[in-house]
Amino acid sequence: MSSAAIAGLGITELGKVYGRSSSSLAAEAVRLAAADAGIPLSAVDGLLISSGQKQDVGITLANALSTGPLGLCMTMNSFGATAGIMVATAAKAIAEGTATTVACVFADTPLKPKQSTGAAWGSPRASTREIAGLGGWSLAGGAINPNILYAMCARRHMERYGTTSEQLGQIAVAQRAWAQHNPLAAMREPMTLEDHQNSRWIADPLHLLDCCLVSNGAVAVIVTAADRAKDLAKPPVHVWGWGQAHEVRRMHRGSDWGLVTPAARSGAAAMRMAGIGVDDVDVAELYDCYTYTVLVTLEDYGFCEKGEGGAFVSDGRLAPGGKLAVNTGGGQLSGYYMWGMTPLSEAIIQARGEGGARQAPRNDVVLVSGNGGILEHHSTLVLSPHARKLPAEVTA
Amino acid sequence: MSTPEVSELPPPFPAVQRDRATEAFFDAASRGELLVQQCAGCDTVLPPEAKTCFSCGSDNLGPTVVSGRGRLITWVVVTHAPVPVLAGAVPYVSAVVELDEGPWLMVRLVDADPTALAAGDAVQVDFVRSGAGENTGEMLPVFRPVGSEENATEEKA
Repeated sequence: MSSAAIAGLGITELGKVYGRSSSSLAAEAVRLAAADAGIPLSAVDGLLISSGQKQDVGITLANALSTGPLGLCMTMNSFGATAGIMVATAAKAIAEGTATTVACVFADTPLKPKQSTGAAWGSPRASTREIAGLGGWSLAGGAINPNILYAMCARRHMERYGTTSEQLGQIAVAQRAWAQHNPLAAMREPMTLEDHQNSRWIADPLHLLDCCLVSNGAVAVIVTAADRAKDLAKPPVHVWGWGQAHEVRRMHRGSDWGLVTPAARSGAAAMRMAGIGVDDVDVAELYDCYTYTVLVTLEDYGFCEKGEGGAFVSDGRLAPGGKLAVNTGGGQLSGYYMWGMTPLSEAIIQARGEGGARQAPRNDVVLVSGNGGILEHHSTLVLSPHARKLPAEVTA
Repeated sequence: MSTPEVSELPPPFPAVQRDRATEAFFDAASRGELLVQQCAGCDTVLPPEAKTCFSCGSDNLGPTVVSGRGRLITWVVVTHAPVPVLAGAVPYVSAVVELDEGPWLMVRLVDADPTALAAGDAVQVDFVRSGAGENTGEMLPVFRPVGSEENATEEKA
């Protein structure tokens, strides 16, 4: 049983932020999160660090922060699943007494001035004219970046279940509608399904508007014991449950790669721990490196049957005013790209009721997902503004 | 902005060079044979890059020649080169194919009409010279829809 809560949230400037190191942004995010919680940095005795594309923030961040003596300090990396795993790790450390107040921070600066967004994902093999061995064969095959590999997964779903590009587009359109009310979102111009369909191919079947942004910046959260969190500056966001699951890419007959993801096991574990089912979820903040990631996560979490994700996301269900509030800040497609900190930060804002014009009508149960690799790593959190009733209290 | 001459573009298949670990693979390719791996313990056939057996976990793997026949699992039409050495290749089709023997390969699909493809389509290995037109590279396994292969055979007959 978790009795941890998120007490602070710190978000630096995001997007085309140039001339600052990832470490500098990480330190600022931690300071902002501590200030948000109303605690001095000296009260922080745990530090979990995640960096993204550049992997350039280390545990020396502790020196830059002048925290108190630390009981927990490490870098972590499960790609986009890391943020959820950091919060779970912090909650476990608090439960066992390793630390009392843990800062979890993500920072990355992949964007460079005068370079395309795609260049942030450039391969070091790009300039090599002669390529050796099986790696060269693979390069010549041309399936060498996440856009292409996720497109393969989306195509597989389309072939198996009849999912369409327009259905994926419904996800992008819904998230843009939410983003219009998020001051932090990079993309706030109205978007129609026609805009999605007319946007250029990135890797058919994925259009440009199926793909996430790339951002520089940092986000941090402060996790502490729920009892302590209730006396701090902001309303606590209680951590009801967590889960993580990882699948290797088993390229062999019988593989369900791209069709079923570790979201299935991760989501089931988190909801079991929290004592909820998908029908209890008011807000879902789902990792959206691509529109397809949202669709397959909805299926794997059990919001609909496998293969019915396309129909499920249609008819504005995920948009403002729809039946299920999903990615209420615009997500990584329209908001900002901070790996798993994008859905987590928006979940905290929604759980606190700080969403302003985009606040979901109900926020008692907020589900957060993280996804990394090519649908290979997954984390899930169940958050709530309410302290969870223990089973004994429920039955009493 | 001028359109580059075709000769200014890299070839559709960058010049791939063998290394010590892939001498047998590329020798087989030059003979028109697709060399993959097979588990010595349980006979499971594995992709060339496998390090351990998917079935039993053994790392005792050895080379084996496969039929080169398979079926299409999924594919992508790539219109924007992900790296400069593929600039001469776009638009191209990357695909996952399942060999009849079981393993999946991520490969280039050639001579394919992307609008006519469907999961489960029969495909067959073929071999192309990498780096054609400049410094010559190794022969590379690629796949083509069997329909076009059959047509080619009929034309020869």
